[in-house]
Amino acid sequence: METKPSSARASAGEAKKRVGIFSFTCDEGCSILLTEIFNQKLIPWLEKMELVYFLSIKDKVEIKDLDIALVEGVVTSERDKEDIEKIRANTRILIAMGTCAMTALPSGQRNNFNISQLKEIEGHLEKYNFLPKALALKDVVVVDDNISGCPIDEGKFIEVFEKYLA
Amino acid sequence: MHKCNLDVEISKLSKIEGHADLDIKIRDGKLEEVNLKVMENLRFFNQAVKGQSYAAVPQLVSRICGTCSIAHLTGCIEAVEKTLGVKISQQTLILRKLTVYSMMIRDHALHLYFFAMPDMLGIDSLLDVPEDKHDLIHDALAVKEAGNNLSELIAGRAVHAPFEQVGGFSHEIDEQKIPAMIEQLKKIRPIVLKLIDIFASCNWEFKRKTNFVALVTDDFSFLEGKIKDMHGLEIEEKDYWNHLHNVVLPYSQATGFEFEGKEYMVGSLARLNLNKENLHENTKRDTAKYLKRFPSENVYDNNLAQAIEILHSVDHSIELLESNKFQKEESAKPEKLTGKNAGAIEAPRGTLYYAIEIEEGKVKELKLVIPTAQNLVNMKRDVEQIVSGLCATGIGKEELEKHIIFEVSKLIRAYDPCMSCASHFLRVRWT
Repeated sequence: METKPSSARASAGEAKKRVGIFSFTCDEGCSILLTEIFNQKLIPWLEKMELVYFLSIKDKVEIKDLDIALVEGVVTSERDKEDIEKIRANTRILIAMGTCAMTALPSGQRNNFNISQLKEIEGHLEKYNFLPKALALKDVVVVDDNISGCPIDEGKFIEVFEKYLA
Repeated sequence: MHKCNLDVEISKLSKIEGHADLDIKIRDGKLEEVNLKVMENLRFFNQAVKGQSYAAVPQLVSRICGTCSIAHLTGCIEAVEKTLGVKISQQTLILRKLTVYSMMIRDHALHLYFFAMPDMLGIDSLLDVPEDKHDLIHDALAVKEAGNNLSELIAGRAVHAPFEQVGGFSHEIDEQKIPAMIEQLKKIRPIVLKLIDIFASCNWEFKRKTNFVALVTDDFSFLEGKIKDMHGLEIEEKDYWNHLHNVVLPYSQATGFEFEGKEYMVGSLARLNLNKENLHENTKRDTAKYLKRFPSENVYDNNLAQAIEILHSVDHSIELLESNKFQKEESAKPEKLTGKNAGAIEAPRGTLYYAIEIEEGKVKELKLVIPTAQNLVNMKRDVEQIVSGLCATGIGKEELEKHIIFEVSKLIRAYDPCMSCASHFLRVRWT
């Protein structure tokens, strides 16, 4: 659940990087793999970061003054588009995590549907305010770095993330 | 007695898989409407798989869900094999059981430690536990890691496992790594027993008369058996579809299901209620006092049931790894390339049904029934009962809203819903 940003921040958290993990339209496999990377890395990383947004493990979240936003998934609806624009406006570094975020697939399979396939889904697209095409993050906002893979490659994630955490 | 009007809106329910919103409308102090809105955007897999090769489709549907990708992979592979007459070896069946166990260990652990436990401890996130309870964070990571390592050893990876394929496993198991894996599983056993104690001591209770449905397997391995319910009904896997019909939930990108015309619940609680006799001997020995609680109608016992299933998955995996030698095998080949059939397995959140039609090796039609979609109607009725009960206490508006948000979120989390999965429904001709 999103709450209004609190003005008072814990003083201990001040020096730590403020990190948010965000899921757009996808299977959330990258953030699941990330929780597996956490098995070894969470404890040391918590010395350097504060998780301010990760709905998978906490309810009180805010999108404000982020240092690093890790974003998985595809921008497929109007709501997705508004959300990613808000994240971009409030973060210093935005990292696209995984094939969905980088290429819009597999959600983007609908971009190449033939007429009969499109006919089956058009009612749903309209009812839930889908965008005409499913989009990769870079088609909507400026992306600072990418971590490829479906799901993300573990070694590459650690390398890229630790670079910004330093 | 207050006769208030209140609209409770929970936007982006946290500590569940995927996205869901909940709108509750109270008028004159009475519940008028509950809208459980699965807000996960559809990705239209059912259209996208058409025309693809039978061998490629399991890896595609694996992408329906990150946390239970192994369930989709395995369920789809099983349906393809049944359709094309692929006869798998005994070793493949054992490796598949180990693969499913590895998923159950890490998936249930994620839910219990990170999603459900904070509500018990009165904190927002497990990361916020006080210093004297920091062992719980280490426990959580240790259990998850054992599951993750078992996935890696047997199937190549925990998410979208690359080795599991139609007809067998593509890679040989590294025998040298097996002793260390067994050691790791033995090491987390006492941690899992502690987890079971924690959830067994939880005094939350919510009961409402309902039915439970699960695939009952003779070694509790989640793979092969008969689908049963609490009234003694017994169904072949392939016929499951004939007992279901779908229920449209307004404003939701997912549809729900009813079984035999009524709401029902699938998942760990259903499995324990219908099949606790077939748990591993060591699990039964060490959880005997808690197993007496089942069959249980208390939704919160789903958490305890999950914890017990982690122990079973650990115990049976240890036995399978200790008593088998694994060797390189050729994958089993299909007898034919055209056919139509179906199969069911137990995914972490309940019965997962895959029906497939293949023509000349290409997928013509695929339909599936997702566990969370089956629980949606039951969940909605439970929420209605909880909210009505809270309204009847006559507490003030502010208190009422606070209680509703806490109690309803807690109850929904006990179901361990996965909205990424639930939003995958098929536009089907319901015949």
